[in-house]
Amino acid sequence: MLKPEAIKIDLEALDWKDAVRKIGDILVEIGAAEPRYIEAMIKTVQEMGPYIVITKGIALPHARPAEGAKKNALAIIKLKKPVEFGNPDNDPVDILIAFTAIDNKSHTKALSQLAKILMVQENIDKIRSASSPTEIYDIIKKALESIN
Amino acid sequence: MSKYRYKLDRPLKILTICGVGMGSSLILRMTTETAVKELDIPAKVEHGVLTEAKAAGADVILAQPLHVEELKDAAPIVIGIKSFVNKEEIKEKLIEALKNAGWLEEA
Repeated sequence: MLKPEAIKIDLEALDWKDAVRKIGDILVEIGAAEPRYIEAMIKTVQEMGPYIVITKGIALPHARPAEGAKKNALAIIKLKKPVEFGNPDNDPVDILIAFTAIDNKSHTKALSQLAKILMVQENIDKIRSASSPTEIYDIIKKALESIN
Repeated sequence: MSKYRYKLDRPLKILTICGVGMGSSLILRMTTETAVKELDIPAKVEHGVLTEAKAAGADVILAQPLHVEELKDAAPIVIGIKSFVNKEEIKEKLIEALKNAGWLEEA
């Protein structure tokens, strides 16, 4: 579900929309989503409010399967400068984790693993201070092994 | 050993809510399941979409603070949770709300 090429760090984004577009581009690049999924993710934030900022500094952009998801995947980006999503409790955001789900069931396992990783503050701290995409990939791999 | 005594004679029905219903609410659900387990509270935790909240018949709804206002009538207890991956926040707020409702007391 997560491949090293789906992780990018030191990205520059003008604002939250730009950040969501950049991570959406990765999902399209790796064949996990159609281009329209990107606009769907942006629309979801606009309609539902910045609820995707699930904890301090971390946003989980996503949209519905029918909106252009092609296969289950995860993408992660770290921004050079954090952006505001409009969430008074958890802004500003410097880490975006986007995912595509082709159906409810198949994605539940991946998401629940993501939850278990993010529930441990140490993992978040390590991701935040990582200096390369492979480092982040290893952190997640190790965290997954320890919860399985 | 839990410091609290759960007083209902059936499991607590908890619903975690987000806008889309597939991502964030599932994460909140998992953190909540961990939280209630640590509190020794028997609970059935499910996740769902904002629009289905009222029909779900839950005892407790957990959602982001910015959704709490519109969920006010959807359950007896509606709690705003700032971080979906912080079980301490969930435990704290659940304990307070359940104590206020008379569903939980200090052991």
